[in-house]
Amino acid sequence: MTMLARTALAAGLSLLGLVPALAQTKAPLTILRVIDADRYDPVRSTATSASEVLFMLADTLVSLDFDMKTVKPLLAKSWTASADGRTYTFDLRQDVKFCDGRPMTAEDVVYSLKRWIDPATRSPVASRAGKVKDIRATDDHTVVYELQEPFSDLLYQLTQSFGSVVDKNTVEKLGQNFGVQGFNATGPYCWVSWTPRQDLVLKKNPHYNWGPPIYKNPKPEIDQIIWKVVPEANTLMAAMQARQADITYYPPLFSIDTMQRVPGLKVQQQKDYIYDVFFAFRVNKPVSSDPAIRRAANMAVNKDAIVKAIYFGRGTPLHSLLSPTVLDYDAKAAAMMPAFDPAGAAKVLDEAGWTPGPDGIRVKDGQKATFVVYGIRDDQNPRISEAMQADLRKVGIDMRIQLWDATVAWGKLATQEFDAFMLSYPYGTATEALNLYFKSTQAPTPNRMNWKDEKTDQLIDAAATATDPAKRKEANAETQRLLTAANVWIPLVTRQMWVVSGDRVEGVRPHGLYGAGLYKGLDLSLKR
Amino acid sequence: MSNPVALTPEASPHAAFAVTARPSVVRFLLREPASAVALVVVVLLVLAALFAPWLAPTDPYAGDLANTLKAPGDGFLLGTDGQGRDMVTRLLFGLRMTLMMSLVAVVIGCGLGGLVGFAAAYYPRLSGLLMRLMDVLLSFPAILFGLALTAIVGPGLTAVLVALSIATIPLMARVVRGAAIVVLQQDYIEAARALGMGDARILTKYVLLNCLSPIFVFVTLRFGQVILLGSLLSFIGLGAQPPTAELGAMASDGRNFLFFAPHVSVLPSLLIFVVVLAFNVLGDGLRDALDPRMRR
Repeated sequence: MTMLARTALAAGLSLLGLVPALAQTKAPLTILRVIDADRYDPVRSTATSASEVLFMLADTLVSLDFDMKTVKPLLAKSWTASADGRTYTFDLRQDVKFCDGRPMTAEDVVYSLKRWIDPATRSPVASRAGKVKDIRATDDHTVVYELQEPFSDLLYQLTQSFGSVVDKNTVEKLGQNFGVQGFNATGPYCWVSWTPRQDLVLKKNPHYNWGPPIYKNPKPEIDQIIWKVVPEANTLMAAMQARQADITYYPPLFSIDTMQRVPGLKVQQQKDYIYDVFFAFRVNKPVSSDPAIRRAANMAVNKDAIVKAIYFGRGTPLHSLLSPTVLDYDAKAAAMMPAFDPAGAAKVLDEAGWTPGPDGIRVKDGQKATFVVYGIRDDQNPRISEAMQADLRKVGIDMRIQLWDATVAWGKLATQEFDAFMLSYPYGTATEALNLYFKSTQAPTPNRMNWKDEKTDQLIDAAATATDPAKRKEANAETQRLLTAANVWIPLVTRQMWVVSGDRVEGVRPHGLYGAGLYKGLDLSLKR
Repeated sequence: MSNPVALTPEASPHAAFAVTARPSVVRFLLREPASAVALVVVVLLVLAALFAPWLAPTDPYAGDLANTLKAPGDGFLLGTDGQGRDMVTRLLFGLRMTLMMSLVAVVIGCGLGGLVGFAAAYYPRLSGLLMRLMDVLLSFPAILFGLALTAIVGPGLTAVLVALSIATIPLMARVVRGAAIVVLQQDYIEAARALGMGDARILTKYVLLNCLSPIFVFVTLRFGQVILLGSLLSFIGLGAQPPTAELGAMASDGRNFLFFAPHVSVLPSLLIFVVVLAFNVLGDGLRDALDPRMRR
């Protein structure tokens, strides 16, 4: 058949409506974000930008409900814990398949979880798995997770992307390039391609029908999803308004009011979201090791003003070490947190022997009250740090700011060069937050403060291994009081999660586990 | 002994021009409307930068979070920035920092580049090596230098200054070498050598003075380019760090408020535009003024 005849036939069939499928193809769902991840290997990347995609690409044994507290089934239909809290037995679904169609078995789960804790993997998040004695498959659909000591946070940690079940064959084939050049797991969406710092393309997993019960529809409805990186706030906002994208949960905070007024855009907030911004002192450096400096700095910083001016009111000032909504939050510890009081801060410094020098900066024993803070250069950090700098200068403390691009910041934050740092982190329980940042075994990262205190270690261990919730709560409370009194951190703001979606997409509901606003990406559908 | 007076700079037409023609250069500049405006603007900007601490109404670092992003005229002549700091003050101090940064980079870059250029012109055996080295330097854009240095020493003015200086060296070396080779072919240089004058004396007394015209023009034009490059490096976060006021960094800080407080970004950007334009027009004017053919 000649080219002309083929074209004429195709045009005729189109006109007769015999090829409607072509006409009905919907454009992919486009999600905008501001930053990309370094890789998408669940056990090697700790970035939120990795987790938010990994939740769609892979599944975990258990899932987390929208309340950010309740653990629900996912790959495991059910589970039991032994009375001593050391052994968990998971009964797996038997209908799960990888993207390449291979059925998932208990051996795949064991392989993935062991890879997480294997020292050879050098996972920065291995400690989140607890002190594992053994993980084994007793049959094709039963996994036994045995611990050396009880770990009260285990189920919550198993909801995180770090415990994702991945395909052993693909991991071994790609080696270090797993999650860079390809991926294979049992998530609702499958890996198509990744162009770093530009976009990541996913397609529907055709086998998937085992979504967690927190969703109405266990199957994905979207054929293709494109995660697009748009680092510049104004461009991102304009793209949403022009309908060049469907969803973002990285709207610039100043734009929330505007977005709410734009017809066709839906703006939703996740009320149970916990993602705190904090400022931390390195306690083994000359100036920041002085408790008086740390206390005075805590009193000098006006958190309310920061939230109002820099977060445009779209944040919550953090007047306690941990968010008041978190499990095991301690109100007594919060009451110990110094309130904003610049005059009181100056008095604390006077009493500690820090006297104002000729340039207004305080001096003690020939040492100037100067320190260097490191942080990531994002939308808020430059402004927060400058506001803090101005507040601290008023009481005679000179804070020098060094902010780094996200690509080099993590490397810089792993050095011993700085005296203080600013970061933000998502967490779900007090045990998780305290265990992550304050245990001496977590130094030098993520315990970049180098806070090494025997009492703190004992309390954190007591909370982590408690089988009685009351004992866990008490241990966590005491740790919060101890750390609040030492002013190791200046807690600043609890961020808010705002999800903006266009009128082409339906079923958007903010989640927020580890900062992932869309979690599994289920219940989403496109109107056109 | 020969009469040294016969070989003073005035003995050559170029040297005579370089030494005696300065008042007429200024007159020539003032006769040209564009050059005159540029000269006046440059003088005013330099004066504003010099006297910024006395002209500025407030402390450039004193923020006030209760008064952030005020529009021009709303209690503040040019409004406030994201930290509630007065924009007039920040612009004055930003201008001061930008000009200072560019001046230091141009002085270092042109100084070193000039030395290399003169050496390459005067010692032909060195020329190949030195100019290939300059070619290597030229192959790296200043932004790349900035990024590489930042990775080593961290963001800050030091990295920017070094990057801008290094980027200026090969350009200056080429200009100076070219000009010096022309001068070195003049008869009076041969005469100076015949009289037994030392290299240093010939270079400073005859070659340098006779190369001043292209050097002046290059420095003025390069100053504008360096301001733009320095601002660019600060804009992408490699230069001045908070709370230092620097025009590029200020323009970058205001990007997020473009929709509702455009003045925070627009004003420093506008000032960069004016400064660079003024220096470029002045450079063009100087080129014309120092060119004897144009002066006729």
